[in-house]
Amino acid sequence: MSEKGGKGFSLPTGKAVKSSLKSTPSTKDASLKGKDDSSTKSKKGRKVQFDSEGLHEPKSNFSSKFDNPAAASGKADWGKGGKGDKVGNGRKKEPQPLELKIEQELPQSAKCLMDCEAADILQGIQEQMILLSKDPTIKIPVSFDKGLQYAKRTSHYTNPQSVRKVLEALTKYGVSDGEISVIANVCPETADEVFALVPSLKTTRSVLIQPLKEVLSELTKLKQST
Amino acid sequence: MFLKVQLPWNVVIPAESLDIKGLMLQKSIVVRLLDEFASRKATKDLGYLLALTTLESIGEGRVREHTGDVLFPVVFSGITFKLFRGEIAEGVVHKVLKHGVFLSCGPVENIYLSKLKMPDYDYVPGENPVFMNSKMSKIEKGSTVRFIVIGTKWLESEREFQALVGLHADYLGPVS
Repeated sequence: MSEKGGKGFSLPTGKAVKSSLKSTPSTKDASLKGKDDSSTKSKKGRKVQFDSEGLHEPKSNFSSKFDNPAAASGKADWGKGGKGDKVGNGRKKEPQPLELKIEQELPQSAKCLMDCEAADILQGIQEQMILLSKDPTIKIPVSFDKGLQYAKRTSHYTNPQSVRKVLEALTKYGVSDGEISVIANVCPETADEVFALVPSLKTTRSVLIQPLKEVLSELTKLKQST
Repeated sequence: MFLKVQLPWNVVIPAESLDIKGLMLQKSIVVRLLDEFASRKATKDLGYLLALTTLESIGEGRVREHTGDVLFPVVFSGITFKLFRGEIAEGVVHKVLKHGVFLSCGPVENIYLSKLKMPDYDYVPGENPVFMNSKMSKIEKGSTVRFIVIGTKWLESEREFQALVGLHADYLGPVS
């Protein structure tokens, strides 16, 4: 009993305890092993902890079973499965706010373009199309025309480079690339419009509002005169 | 939203179109790449493939054992179009139904705006049915609507996307 009690006492301090637990009965070599074990198989170490704790406490049977998934009685497995399911369901049911999270979805090799930038590039390609269409071996993607039409319709600025420059001032306030593109695409007139359409910016509204107003007034100067 | 992407691709040049002249080889690689790019239509991650802008690099060709074809790993840049959840975009109405309208937005042709997602608007039946709100703002066939994307779905067999959109925020609705 005294031995077990001792182990139990040293428990709460964590990692150091595990190695000491293992190293005490053995020689120096073994203590090295013990260290290795504790670093690589920390779960095992924990099991030992709990086992001894279990012995220390009156509810020993219950707790040791619970901590011993390796031995895995049917009950223990069920318990685990149930927990997992519950957590999963909980996550699904949580209504995710309708916010832009392009950065999480996009592979690293891809970057957001503003509609006006895309219009610029696609139009450049279309100008070469007459030449390209003479060669029947060269095929044009079916989506090209629709993409170009869309870009033309939604691009409100004539000079994409300066739009990008103006909007990039917002990156230092934590505005993401995707958010910048959306702002450029909707061509907003007021800061309120921006916060309504890009709700993810609302959290930093107090910091953002002043620079955003400046950016918007710069942008109106760049608008296409129609 | 339009994306600028960099993509690796494997271009297979059939043995018969291999030429001694290096220039011709490069041309056949480009032609082949354009061909494959055009027929791929769209990918799940990057959306609709619109155009190829630059060929960044052509790797070393590897001869395929049985056919004698040569495979060149290439890297190129291009432009794609994809709708993202939470994005603001514009679409053109092409069908008005009792329970909502269908729109197209660039290359994305099946975008559904349900009646439930435009609570201000009421269905007005007739020869040309429309959705109208109290401010007499109309959503009819041919009108352009600014919306927020609620969700998208990739259809592997058709190689296309579908999207659900809504008008439940300020500054959304028909645009003149």
